[in-house]
Amino acid sequence: MTHAMWAPDTVGAGPAHRVELTLAADAQMLFLARMTGAAVATRADFDYEQVEDLRLAIDELCIKLMSSVNGPARISLSFQWDDEGALEVIGTRIPEDGPSTNGRHPQPGVAGPTSELSERILDALVDDHGGDMFGETQQVWLRLKRQERLA
Amino acid sequence: MMTNDAQFELAVSGPSGVPVLRVEGEIDVASAPGFHAAVSDLIGQGAKVVIVDMSDVSFIDSTGLGVLVSAEIEMREEGIDLRLVVTRPQITRLLELTGLDEVFTVLSNTNDAVKI
Repeated sequence: MTHAMWAPDTVGAGPAHRVELTLAADAQMLFLARMTGAAVATRADFDYEQVEDLRLAIDELCIKLMSSVNGPARISLSFQWDDEGALEVIGTRIPEDGPSTNGRHPQPGVAGPTSELSERILDALVDDHGGDMFGETQQVWLRLKRQERLA
Repeated sequence: MMTNDAQFELAVSGPSGVPVLRVEGEIDVASAPGFHAAVSDLIGQGAKVVIVDMSDVSFIDSTGLGVLVSAEIEMREEGIDLRLVVTRPQITRLLELTGLDEVFTVLSNTNDAVKI
C-alpha cells in the first residue's frame, strides 16, 4: 500500500540508508518518534542544531498525523538518508480495525493556534514538507539537507 | 516504561508575591493538557503579573506553544501580564522562529521577571 503512494524523490544521489519505526497513534508514544529522529540525524552526521530541528519537526509531523485520528490507528515513520546529507522522513497514518492495543486514543490536540504554529515551525525548520490523503490513509513528509560545516 | 512526563510546580516568588509556575521536562501533545491546567491555575491567583518559568523545559512543540498563546489571550482580557522565563537557546530560537518572541514578554531569569 505504501509503495503506491507518492513521495518526494530527494534521497538517492548516494548510497541510501533507511530506518523504519511503527508505533500506535498514541500521544504517549510520541517521544519515541522524536528519539528516533534525533538518532537518525546524528547518524547522518547532522550538527546539534539540525538534530534538534529534526526532533521538533518529527514531532510536528506526527501531530499532523494524530490530529485527525477518529479511531485506532498506527503511525509508520520511514527515515531515509544518503551520504550526501539529504534526509527525508515519510509518515503514514494507517487506520486499524478494532480497539487500540492499550485503550488510549491520541489527544485531539489543544484548540486554538496550534495548527498554524505547527505549519510555521515546519516552514522554518525543514527545507520542504507536505502531505496528502490516500483514501483513509494519511501521508506526510519532510526533507532536510545537512548543512555543511565550516572547515 | 520510560516516559517524558513534564512537572509543574506553582510557587509564589518575591516580596510582591508574584505567582510563578515552574515547568520542567518536555511539553508535547501528551503533556499539553496538564500544562494547560497548570497555566489556567495561574489565572485564578488574583495577581496582575504571573510568570511561567521555562528554564528547565527541554522541549516544547506547537501544542505547548498553543497553550501559552491561548493563556496570553485570556490573561490579557483579564488584565493579567504573562511573563516567560526562558534560558535554553533552543526554546528562545523557537519563539523567534514562530514570531512569539514579539507576543510574549520573555526574560532570562525570574528575578528580572518579577521586577518589571
